[in-house]
Amino acid sequence: MKKIAIGGGQGFWGDSPDAALHMLRHADIQYMACDYLAELTMSIMAKQQLKDPGKGFAPDFVTRILKEGGKEAWEKGIRILTNAGGMNITGCVEAIRQWADSASMKGYKIGYVTGDSIKEKIPQLLKEGWTFPNFDYDGDFNEIVDKIYNCNAYIGHEGIKECLNQGADVVITGRAADSALFLAPFAHEFGWAEDDWDNLARGIMAGHLLECGGQGAGGNYMYDWRGVPRMDELGFPIAEITDDTFEITKAPDCGGIICEQSCKEQFLYEVLDPANYMTPDVNVDISQATITQVGPDRVRIGNVRGKQKPDKLKLCVGYHKGWKTVSMLSFAWPDAYEKAQYCADVIMKKMARRGMKADDIHISYIGVNSLHLNVADMSEESLKNLNECVLRIAVFSEDKSECAKIIPEISPMQLNGPPGASFFGGRAHVQEVMALWPTYVPRDALDIQAHILEV
Amino acid sequence: MAEIYLNDIAHGRSGDKGDTSNVCVYARKPEYYKIIEREVTPKTLHAHFGDMVKGEIVRYDVPSLGGFNFVMKHALGGGATMSLRLDSLGKSMGSAVMRMKIHVTDEEMSGIIA
Repeated sequence: MKKIAIGGGQGFWGDSPDAALHMLRHADIQYMACDYLAELTMSIMAKQQLKDPGKGFAPDFVTRILKEGGKEAWEKGIRILTNAGGMNITGCVEAIRQWADSASMKGYKIGYVTGDSIKEKIPQLLKEGWTFPNFDYDGDFNEIVDKIYNCNAYIGHEGIKECLNQGADVVITGRAADSALFLAPFAHEFGWAEDDWDNLARGIMAGHLLECGGQGAGGNYMYDWRGVPRMDELGFPIAEITDDTFEITKAPDCGGIICEQSCKEQFLYEVLDPANYMTPDVNVDISQATITQVGPDRVRIGNVRGKQKPDKLKLCVGYHKGWKTVSMLSFAWPDAYEKAQYCADVIMKKMARRGMKADDIHISYIGVNSLHLNVADMSEESLKNLNECVLRIAVFSEDKSECAKIIPEISPMQLNGPPGASFFGGRAHVQEVMALWPTYVPRDALDIQAHILEV
Repeated sequence: MAEIYLNDIAHGRSGDKGDTSNVCVYARKPEYYKIIEREVTPKTLHAHFGDMVKGEIVRYDVPSLGGFNFVMKHALGGGATMSLRLDSLGKSMGSAVMRMKIHVTDEEMSGIIA
């Protein structure tokens, strides 16, 4: 029976290349897909591209994956898919072409999919009456329209599949949905129809279990993190699909764990309604799904169902929102927390006198409540003998100069505040705050194109 | 009746979509599913978090996996770069849920200790 195996090579932009390279060398896979894009990555890339038109994609894909293992993958016939193109797909393609050329890989086929970026179509869509409603908050899209960095639709697997049909050895996309990168090879290999919802859903869930890399193989694993073998050599997950089975495993001779609990933690990760997990390719129903251990580091996924895909695509709009700055001061025993609190009070009184107009201020205490906030243990018993505590003050303002007012007030606290205050990390900076406007766009507003460039 | 941490009988993971936090919660043993079902409801979870979670909490039950998916809106102080929190992506929301105190009967407790 035909079996197709695909590995998850990267979970985000900045991920370790170790597992991907190990997988290319030692696993029996036909495909590997590398996800580089989180929700805000496109806006960061758009901003980089504004400063330097040659930027705007994830160069690590070329420098850390292809340069190290791309030629071997090509020689073995392992085809690689990635959304590393980000905001600059052709820039990424050109970097790959140069690498393949210098590695004497004549005949290497680079596929790429364009059409997810629709910023230039916004005025026309607005004119046609599309309102881009924000599905998280109230608000009028017209108020942000001139502050937009990027506007990308989450596209499905069709363009990627088309590149594979045309023989691509590597496929580059922009904002393709993470899981579409993984679905495409299965749909291509098994000839799944565009409305074969149950099979498309299986391919999507394979992608879902793989798209976060190590998180699908014992990374960020709450169930038994101490019991994860060789975390320093953590393998990333591999999905194997046949006509009627769907299993997750990992490469031989690497660390990590594939078991019922590790897969379960990833299975519902960033899912909202399990009966309606919406992707551009299919509406997935995992509300009756099963996960069963069938061998060492091998689980079988069952009962994944699919329904008709949505007629609109999720659109991710990144825009300029304002400015923020974060300052920190550390304090030691005795009374570390009390001193830090007192110091926060002193700084805030000074800021009131300076007339700082902040739109939001968030004060927390690292070592005490900066992560768990309201649910942290603030009992006297837990605070009284604290070894140390770091005061953290974060300020947001739409006005950059208001935000900057607090910066020079922090280091003087070493001499002018409660005893033992220590300033570290240098002077704080004002950072730009980009925000997301999550909305939808009609499918037919997009013009998705598949291309091939042969080296 | 005894009071324990949810962490004693459950595991899970948190993720983010904008300002929405999702936390999946699974029973460490099949018999704990009923306890979680009874003790961890949108209402009790909201009481646990207070105004740290500003929006609605919805629970989706997935008995075939022995778990639940909690979807909490306006839970991350704005989400992604908008949030001023140290943990703007809510990576520690999973353990924050596990910190919830729940009540179990003496009979259930004897099973948990065993």
